[in-house]
Amino acid sequence: MLIFGVLRSGLYSLASVGLALSVGVIGIVNFAHGEFLMLGAYMGYWLFASYGVDPLAAIPLGAAGIFLIGSLTYRSAIQRVLRAPELNQMLLTFGISIFLQNLAIILWTGDPRVATVSYKATAVSLGPFTVGLPQLLVFAVAMTLTLSLYAVLGRTRIGKAMRAVAQNRLGASLLGIEVDRVYLLAFGLSTALAGTAGLMITLQLSVSPFIGLLYTLKAFAIIVIAGLGNINGVIYASLVLGLSEAFVEFYVPQGGGWAEGVFFLLILLVLLVRPQGLFK
Amino acid sequence: MSGRQAVQVLALAVVLVAAVAFPFWANRTQPYYLQIAINIISFAILALSWDMLARTGQLSLAHAAFYGLGAYTSALVTTRMGLPIFLGMLLGSLVAVVVAAGLGMLTLRLRGIYFAIGTLAFSETLRVVTNQLRFTGGATGLVVPPLLGGQRVPQYLLILAVLLLAVVVSWMVNRSRWHFAFTAIRTNEAVAGAMGVDVVRFKVLAFMISAFFAGITGAYYAHVFLFISPIEVYSLAVSVGALVAPIFGGLYTTAGPILGAVVLRVGEEILRSTVQRGYPIIYGLILALVILYMPRGLIGVWASVKSGLATGRKETREPAGP
Repeated sequence: MLIFGVLRSGLYSLASVGLALSVGVIGIVNFAHGEFLMLGAYMGYWLFASYGVDPLAAIPLGAAGIFLIGSLTYRSAIQRVLRAPELNQMLLTFGISIFLQNLAIILWTGDPRVATVSYKATAVSLGPFTVGLPQLLVFAVAMTLTLSLYAVLGRTRIGKAMRAVAQNRLGASLLGIEVDRVYLLAFGLSTALAGTAGLMITLQLSVSPFIGLLYTLKAFAIIVIAGLGNINGVIYASLVLGLSEAFVEFYVPQGGGWAEGVFFLLILLVLLVRPQGLFK
Repeated sequence: MSGRQAVQVLALAVVLVAAVAFPFWANRTQPYYLQIAINIISFAILALSWDMLARTGQLSLAHAAFYGLGAYTSALVTTRMGLPIFLGMLLGSLVAVVVAAGLGMLTLRLRGIYFAIGTLAFSETLRVVTNQLRFTGGATGLVVPPLLGGQRVPQYLLILAVLLLAVVVSWMVNRSRWHFAFTAIRTNEAVAGAMGVDVVRFKVLAFMISAFFAGITGAYYAHVFLFISPIEVYSLAVSVGALVAPIFGGLYTTAGPILGAVVLRVGEEILRSTVQRGYPIIYGLILALVILYMPRGLIGVWASVKSGLATGRKETREPAGP
């Protein structure tokens, strides 16, 4: 049970760290975050179904593709509402989310699709436990990517620029940082991370236009638990969500259905009891 | 009464007469139109009631929760306890109101995005719970007895009456001292409180009024379409529709949400007959475009067209929109 929860939290971290980046650096709560994940998942599916590319090998291409789509979205829409009231920003990304989801339905129908990679059913034993190879791979890759994002933010010039902009937009621009380019980069990166998480979903679950919303909501739950804009707390918050879901699935009768509600309950509780987040 | 007011009153009267006469014509020639009209009116009530809550600055994503509570309460008390349908509908909206008061109290401290996420979480939690419980029929849903013997014309007139009630309430809110209280809270809650506006009371009241209409519309839906399931009545699409229509039509007005609802639903119907799937794309597109290019909605566009025509003529206009 613990193993399941931990493995799942790897994917959750990757799926939500991008949203935390967007909230933390740009201050945009992106309701369309999961839609970029969904687009990434379709990219993974089509590359696999048409050219036999393994979803893991498709990560560079998929991430670049989604980065491009994300940047385009930023330039054409998000950029215009940076100074608008928070609610307009939220409603705009909400509109983008509905748009992308239905675009996917029009293009690829609402039917779920499954990419069956050769090692899908392969199991690996980890000491006394047995886990699926895809789950383990996804966890490893997701954790590596999330941690390297932390490294980028902590060590590199562009990472420092992002943190500077996040702290004080005006101050950063006075220091010669091109705020707009940093924003563009942060948004593109945020969507690319979501897209990568999407690619990895194709390894273990089916792909449909409707998965985006679910992951948007789960990512919300995670960044609310971590505290809005707190990028470092995402990993712990993902663990909280992953473990509580696994707990409900194993110990509550008909837990599979109830687990769907866990993250909503977590959001509600955290917002009502400790709105600044658990890890802040 | 000035000439312009007389024209407005006359136009309203014509619309009202046409709306009342419509079913008698449609029922004989185009029964499908009657169905669509019922849909549009229900949608307009949801939009208007959502807007009344938004006037206090609370942009809720929980409208589906009250819609669903109304639908399920009424369905359950009429099928399981054999209560008359009208009583069921009343109970349904009452439950929605009581729950809204509770949710309103709980979310008082939440602002903006936190409020939106919190209300969404509440609505989805209700969906999951209804999905899992046995006595609500679970994921399979419930079969519901028909309202007014399933006759479409009286059903239509009933929902039209509910819309009229909503219009009257909305109009009264916008004409009374409440209007100032709502606007003050929306613009700056702290200042409103300091000026002596009872912020808690008005925010919760707005929630309750809003939920009453959402609840009764949900109950009506159940007894007209005779079948409900959690995924349908607690659907995010209900909350989204209730929010897009006012934004499209013009926020914080009485006519705006109704106008938005009518245009959106008619557009959706046309789109539905041309593209088979994915037609809700129109909601996303309109929402994004309206936010980017016409923040005051259709009403705002109308007002600026009118003032464009009236330049040169001395006239004091009433400021429309937010």
